[in-house]
Formats: sequence, structure tokens, C-alpha cells
Amino acid sequence: MSVLEYIANGLVFSSIIVLASIGLSLVYSIADFANFAHGDTMTVGAYGTLVTFGFVGGLGGTVLGLPYGFFVALVVGIVVAAVVAVVTQRLVYEPLDIGSIGLLITSIGVAFVYRALVRLGFGADPREYAVELQRPIEALVPYGIRMTVHDVAIVGSAALLVTGLHLLLQYTDLGRKMRAMADNPDLARVSGIRTGRIRIWTWLIGAGLAGAGGGFLGLYNNVGPRMGFDILLVVFAAVILGGIGSVYGAMLGGLLIGMIDQMTPILGDVGIPIGTEYSYAIAFVIMVAVLLVRPTGIAGEAGS
Amino acid sequence: MSVTDRLPRTGLLDGYTRAERGVVGFVVLLMLLLVYGLVTGGLGPTYFLYLIGLVGMYVLLSFGLNAQWGYTGLINFSVAAFFGIGAYGTALLSADSSPIAGNMLPVVGLFVGLVVAAVVALVIGVPTLRLRTDYLAIASLGLAEVIRILVQNQRNYTNGSAGLRGIPGFFEGWPVLETFPQAMPTLIVERLTLTVPFLFEVDLFGFRLGQSFWQGLLNVSLVLVFVGVTYAMLRRVHRSPWGRVLRTIRADEDLAEALGKDTYRFKMQSFVLGSVIMALAGVFYAHLNLYVSPGDFEPINTFYVWIAVILGGSGSNRGAMFGGFVVIAIREGTRFLGDLLPAAFPTLGIPFTDLVVSFPALVENTYATVVSNFASTRLLAVGLLIILVMRFRPEGVLPPQRELIWPEATEGPDPGSDPGTKAVSADGSGASRGGQTDE
Repeated sequence: MSVLEYIANGLVFSSIIVLASIGLSLVYSIADFANFAHGDTMTVGAYGTLVTFGFVGGLGGTVLGLPYGFFVALVVGIVVAAVVAVVTQRLVYEPLDIGSIGLLITSIGVAFVYRALVRLGFGADPREYAVELQRPIEALVPYGIRMTVHDVAIVGSAALLVTGLHLLLQYTDLGRKMRAMADNPDLARVSGIRTGRIRIWTWLIGAGLAGAGGGFLGLYNNVGPRMGFDILLVVFAAVILGGIGSVYGAMLGGLLIGMIDQMTPILGDVGIPIGTEYSYAIAFVIMVAVLLVRPTGIAGEAGS
Repeated sequence: MSVTDRLPRTGLLDGYTRAERGVVGFVVLLMLLLVYGLVTGGLGPTYFLYLIGLVGMYVLLSFGLNAQWGYTGLINFSVAAFFGIGAYGTALLSADSSPIAGNMLPVVGLFVGLVVAAVVALVIGVPTLRLRTDYLAIASLGLAEVIRILVQNQRNYTNGSAGLRGIPGFFEGWPVLETFPQAMPTLIVERLTLTVPFLFEVDLFGFRLGQSFWQGLLNVSLVLVFVGVTYAMLRRVHRSPWGRVLRTIRADEDLAEALGKDTYRFKMQSFVLGSVIMALAGVFYAHLNLYVSPGDFEPINTFYVWIAVILGGSGSNRGAMFGGFVVIAIREGTRFLGDLLPAAFPTLGIPFTDLVVSFPALVENTYATVVSNFASTRLLAVGLLIILVMRFRPEGVLPPQRELIWPEATEGPDPGSDPGTKAVSADGSGASRGGQTDE
């Protein structure tokens, strides 16, 4: 396999990690706790997509090997994840008065409840979307890149969502308020920003992006109850690498961690005996190293 | 422990808080249920002893986590890793299927397991203990996963996902105890049929107490010794000046530093101490279960221990014991209920068709799903329990009492004479019972 192929694979995996890590970072900065239920929010999004796709199926024509119905289903999955997260915030996190460590522990309970409900509803076996498997794009094969149109769809959609978020944060009223609140919640509050409302919006956006990430992760691998929890630590690694609380840092961190993860085979190629089964382990070790050397991450607190 | 000690003396549970009465009630009820199962033959005596052994194991694990989280406030999400290190440490040395050593004495395994755990705790602690608490949580979970992935994939050292079989009992190589189970006679308890005329008829007993029973008895004695020694040590340590520094760190780390304490060192000592206790639980588990696999490193095992500690009351060793009971009740109870409950919604003997109107299909389907997937139901119970405890009783059911009061000051001659006293500790947990302290 060529280095180009690793980069291409890295780009696809990164897209998923970026979506998830932006959401985690947003919630981390505004709600001020490490949300261990974020991975399972991705699972919820993936199952929301799966179920809706079962109903709408091959709606309309296809784009990039995916029926229009899939994108409709993905939007529904995003909405489901966002709504579930906001309901959880209202029912579980908001009434608590126990500080960020207590919230962190509670979020583990929330993660288990999500996963248990998904397993009770859909069984423990992995499933796949009913889309045709694609062959690698012919035009890229001569360059040593084996990439399907589905992969292109994942990267393209993720880029679209990330650009949308960037525009939202930089050029809309809501985005400015969100940034103000992430910077200094008290100052935002005395400036007349309705912080409660902004908090809900942040949960909606963060969980929605997680839902999108989950939907794409289901397309990339398959849909299973553990998919989100298994990838959660990789997402944490990306967020910490980028700098907790920084949206742009999370984008960069997600890109780097996703790339590093898919580049692991290079180690074997150059003679270092570390197999691909250690790709996650490498991400975790990087995470701890970053925490040690530069706990604020690449972008630090100033990025968002 | 002391809860049950004082039970006969007070008789009506006078000197206890409501929570303590509830806990006593729960434990008694659970015991009655187990004895009922034992007497009616629904629960084999060997399995009963195995369950008691598991409870002891969770109590040990909770003690370990308590020494880290309860005393010092360290969020350690790598409990399963240290448990697994203890289990694999002894298994790799003593099991006959071990790829590296094998057939050594379990006592050597115990020693090596604990030493390896202490070393790994140091290695993990050096980078992570300087971090903010929430970073520590993430980093420790990540490093625990690294250890799990290593054990799963380094087949030449650990046998990979096949796990290790052929682990001997802990007492192999001991003078008398090694052959104790074989030497004991097989007791046969005859089946009795108890008949109360016109009311009911029950079968009682009816089991053989053979070699595995005596082996189980030996295991339970072993875990009792482990738990007893650990409890005594932790109690002593917690009251020492060293323990006071730990509690100060938990309450306010800056304050501890301002008082000239090297908090990093104290945190490291508490982290290593807790990790070694967790490894001790792992060693016991390997010789109880006689089989270890990478599944023992799964993060869910870490969170079972967390539930035991936060439910029992962070910082309280009595609470940790209670938590151990509850975790086994959840783990084994859901399994038991799954077998016990009918697979379909009970229709009370009325033909199914009559009930279609009154019982919507949704209820029946939900019921059938929940009963037939006890693993998922258990996960749901675990998750809900965490949320409910954090919502309604974040200090736990049996919070540490009077932990900031000099012990002698409260050990008056007349326990229970001043039930209205309220001692509020620095982390906000209150104690509302007079009398002697248990922590």
C-alpha cells in the first residue's frame, strides 16, 4: 500500500473523528465536564439513521453511490441524537448540583443507559445500512489509492458540516454568543446573553455533529451498540490534542489523530514491529503525552 | 462490619440513621434470599460460596478504589487494568498453560502480581497524577485500554484472547491446606420433604458437599483474610497523619500545598496503595475462577467498582462493603432473574387471547425483550443506578462519618447518646449519628 492510500484512508477516518470531537469540545467548553456519553450519542445517531433509512429506503436518485434517502435518514439521525442529548441535559444533568467530577461520573451512567436501550431495542449484533458496497474509484487506482465513492461522500459531507459550523460561529449572532460564553460564561451573562438558551443550542449542535459522525461511522464500518463507546477515547485524544474547549483545535486534533491512526501500517513498513491492532493504543499514548507536555493542547484556550 | 456487630445489642436499631437501617435491612433480606435458595436447593452450596467469594473480591476492589478516590480524590478509571494485572500476574506464573513460566507456586504469583501492579501504578502515576482530575480520568481510562490491547495481542506472552486455563487453587504447595478439599469427607445432605397438611409441600436440602464445596470454603476463608487484613490496614492508615493529609488533598489540594505538603508524593503513594489492593483482588479472582482472559480488563469492570464505591459512600470502607454486595446482587441477580422469570409476560392462567385487549402488545414485547437480554438489562440497571445515586444521594448511602474529627474525641463511653450531632466534612457529606466512629 502506498503512502497516498494511507493519507486517503486517514482523511476518511479523520472526517468522522473531527465531527465527533467538535461536539465533545463544544460541550466540554460550555457545560464544563468531560462527557463520557458522547460516544454513545454517536451510536444513537447511527441507529436513528439506520431505522429511518429502513423506512425511506431508496428514495429518489443516487449521489456518490448513496440514495437520497440516506441523506434524509442521516438528517433524522442527527436530529434524534440532538434531541436525545437535550432531553438528557434537561432531565439528568441540569438538576444535578455536584460539580464537574460528579457530572463526569453521571455521564458514564447516561452512556450505559443509551447503550443498554439500543441493545434492548435492536439486539447486540452489528448491522449494516442497506446500501450497495462500492468498488474503489477506478480513476484513483493507478495512483495506489483505493477509495470508494462512499468515502468521498463521508469526507464531502463532513467538510460541508464543518464549514457550516465555522460560518455559524463566525458570522451569526448565535455563534458570537456561543464563543462569548465559551470564553467567559459570567461575562456573557452580565452582557445580557441568555446563557441557558445558548447552552441548549450548544448541546443541540454538539450532539447533532456527534450523530452525523455516528451515521458516517456506521457507513465506514457497521452499526453496533458498542461503536460509539469504542471510539470515544480516540475522540477524547483528538480533543485533548487540539485543546479542550477549542472548536478549531478539535478540528485539527481530529484530523491529526485520524491520520495517525490510519498511518500506523507505515510503522510496520519501516520495520518497527507495531501492528495495526495498536493504532488506538498509539492515539491514547499520544493523548497522555500531550497532557503531560502541553495540557492546553495545540490551540489552547484561545482558539475558539 | 460494626453494623451487624451492634445489631443484637440495640435490638430495635435505635442508634442508627435511616440509611443504616435500610442497609441492614437490604443485607439481611439478601442473606435471607440466599439462605432460602440454599435451603430449597435452588442454589447449590458451591455456587453460594463462589458468590460470597465474588462479593469479597468486589469489597477488595472497592477498598482499593476508596483509597484512591475516597481518600485522596483521584479519579482512577483503570481499576480493571490493575485487577487484570494481579490476575494475569499470578496466572502466568502458576497456570500450566502459561506461555512464559507456569507451574510455580501461587504464593510466588501473589507476590509477583502485587509487585508488577505497584510498578505499573508508578509508571501510570508519574505522567497522570500531575494532571487535573478530569484529565486523570480520561488518561487512566486510555492507559487501561492500552494494557488491555497489549494483553489481547501479545499472544506469545499472554495467550491472547484464548486466556489462561489450568490455574491451580491458591493453596497449592501449602502443607495441610493443599490437600484439605480431597481429605475432607463428602457429606451428603438428604433431601427432606416438608409437608404442612393442606397448605404446601416443599423439598429441602438434598445436596452433596464434596471436594468442590471444601475448595469453595477454603476460597471464602482466603478472601475473608484478605478483606480483614486490608480493612484493618486501611482503617489504621486512614486515621494516621498520612491519612489526614490525603483527606486534606481531597478537600482542597491548594491548601495541602500551602501547608507544605508534597501533594504529588502523597497522591502517588495513595495511588500505588489502591492499585496494589486491586491487584490483590485480581490474584484472588484468578485462583477462584481458575481461568483468566482479556475480558477481565473490560472497562465495564472498572465501572462496577465505581458503582460500589459511590453507592456505598466515597471514603467509607463500610460503604465499600455494602457496595460490593449490591454489585454482586446486580450482576448475579439479573442473571438469576433472567432464568427465573417466565419468558413471556405472565398471563395469570387466563388464556392469552382474552388479554390482548387489556395488555397492549407493547408491554408484552418490552417485557419479553428485557427478560431475554439480561446482559442489556444489567447494563441498564447499572447506568440508571449511577444516575440515580448522583442525583439523589451523591455522598452515597453510608457516607464516611466524622472523618475530620479526631477519633478519640468521639469515642465516648456512651455510644448513641447524642444522635442529633451533625458533623459535616469538607466534601459536604454529613454525618448525623452520634456514637463511635466507623471510619
